[in-house]
Amino acid sequence: MTSYHFDWSIIPQSLPTLFKGLGLTLEVSVITIILGTILGFPLATARMSKHEIIRWPAQAYIEVFRCTPLLVQLLWVFYALPAFLGVTIPAVPSVCIALTANMTAFMAETYRAGMQSVPVEQIEAAQMLRLSRISILRHIVVPQAFRQQIPTILSIYVSLFKDTSLVSALGVADVTFQGNILSSQTYRPMEVFTTVAIIYFVIAFPLTLFTSAVERRIISSSTMGAPPRSGGFWRQLMPGRRPVIPIPAAATTPGAAGGSAGGEPVAGDQLLESRLTSLNPQGDPS
Amino acid sequence: MSTQEEALEQERPASDHFMDLSGITKSFYGRTVLKRVDFTLDAGEIAVLIGKSGSGKSTLLRIIAGLTKADDGDIDMMGERVVIGGEYQKTWKAARDQVGMIFQNYTLWPHLSVRQNLALAPKKVLGESDKVIVERAERALAEVGMAHHLNSRCGQLSGGERQRVAIARALMMRPRLLLCDEMTSALDPPVAAEVLGVITKLKEEEGIGCVLVTHDMAFAAKAADRVSYFEEGVIAEEGDPRRLLSEPETPGLRKFVDAVRF
Ligand SMILES: Nc1ncnc2c1ncn2[C@@H]1O[C@H](COP(=O)(O)OP(=O)(O)OP(=O)(O)O)[C@@H](O)[C@H]1O
Ligand SMILES: [Mg+2]
Repeated sequence: MTSYHFDWSIIPQSLPTLFKGLGLTLEVSVITIILGTILGFPLATARMSKHEIIRWPAQAYIEVFRCTPLLVQLLWVFYALPAFLGVTIPAVPSVCIALTANMTAFMAETYRAGMQSVPVEQIEAAQMLRLSRISILRHIVVPQAFRQQIPTILSIYVSLFKDTSLVSALGVADVTFQGNILSSQTYRPMEVFTTVAIIYFVIAFPLTLFTSAVERRIISSSTMGAPPRSGGFWRQLMPGRRPVIPIPAAATTPGAAGGSAGGEPVAGDQLLESRLTSLNPQGDPS
Repeated sequence: MSTQEEALEQERPASDHFMDLSGITKSFYGRTVLKRVDFTLDAGEIAVLIGKSGSGKSTLLRIIAGLTKADDGDIDMMGERVVIGGEYQKTWKAARDQVGMIFQNYTLWPHLSVRQNLALAPKKVLGESDKVIVERAERALAEVGMAHHLNSRCGQLSGGERQRVAIARALMMRPRLLLCDEMTSALDPPVAAEVLGVITKLKEEEGIGCVLVTHDMAFAAKAADRVSYFEEGVIAEEGDPRRLLSEPETPGLRKFVDAVRF
């Protein structure tokens, strides 16, 4: 089939260099993951603000990072920041800034989706029990949002870990960069990049296995909260939708199936708006 | 409203009723949903709101709860003017403390146990100690027929059990008035009857009043002190449930009663 002769003999001596690169890959990944996970939260809150002056820039930020290629973002930060700030930033901090900026946008959207998935009634019930806005966020919205989004968050982490390979384009000596160097030194690109791929795989695969396990666990414990027999898990996961509640025949009257004020299925931003205004009750004079 | 009128408004003595709503008006996007609705409730009374979908029942309930702001109208509660011309007054806060609300769906916080659901507000809002909270939680659960469920997970409860726990959770804040919006619409009739039984019991034993939106006419006939029939944003007919349901006067209510005859 092919006349290529694999020669794996160069790999053992290459491993130390590759592992050194892996060290940097992990360093960049971990820094970015930690910062993005934290910074995503204020950004999500800003994105959901009822003040346009806050919401609009947050939304613009998120869309810019979602709708441009990561490599372009990396290059842009690398060349533009020094131009604007007048300071030269070394490559490693520069890529950390760019990756974090990107990660923050994705995390913010994930948090927002999670918070949107918390039914308005739960928040209103909390308000009726006089819980403060902070208590509601802290004890009701955030824990559920986070729990529900763990699989998504984990897969963002995995993607980020793999995407750090792009930093090699800026001369950051990560595992991909080292592989590139080695392959040109040894003229053995197939062997070297197979090894590089295996290194990424060995780290990412357990994480994706873990993600699936978490997902299954969430599914198996997911009937909580919704009324029983209410249309299944997947419908509940869909943002902005509620399961259709079967109305017992005897209770059916003209209009029995209608939604309640503020509780009608609304989609997307409308739901979000109602959620946020419900965190800030119009009727509360305080 | 001019300042003079406002002054007059404030001088007028507040109503003797436990709660007195007058001239409640609400529009959504230019469509009037409530048109100068008057509604009174005495302490420990059960009032049932009925009417077609979209007639404004939930909106009125939410205005009483403070979840939706009225465009106009006054609310007196326990001898205080709490809303004047749609504006919530300082006195509103104390009045709201007496009001609990039960929703149709998603009433409990599913990530917390029954105990945590009951304890959160007393702990954060009233600052009560864990010991006091557990004692009161046990009593509240017993009251709704859910003793021994203190440590259950919400996911293990049936729909009827959830609504009863939701009532117990509201009781933890010592309300004198419960607002229930189609609390039993998602439940099978026998289970619904059980949950509604709790409301009757709370009235008889604790003197807790209730404004209830329900399509359960059997309950309305048996337990309600008063039924109000909503039609397009006004209370078209109101009064004793047995009379209202057996000899409806307005054509709308006649049609409504025929449709749900039990
Ligand atoms: N937040 C809102 N925004 C816009 N329109 C609303 C809102 N809440 C209620 N409405 C409208 O007000 C009208 C009255 O609604 P409401 O929920 O009070 O009716 P209801 O009598 O409770 O009906 P149902 O029996 O279906 O629950 C409906 O036409 C509804 O579409
Ligand atoms: Mg309603």
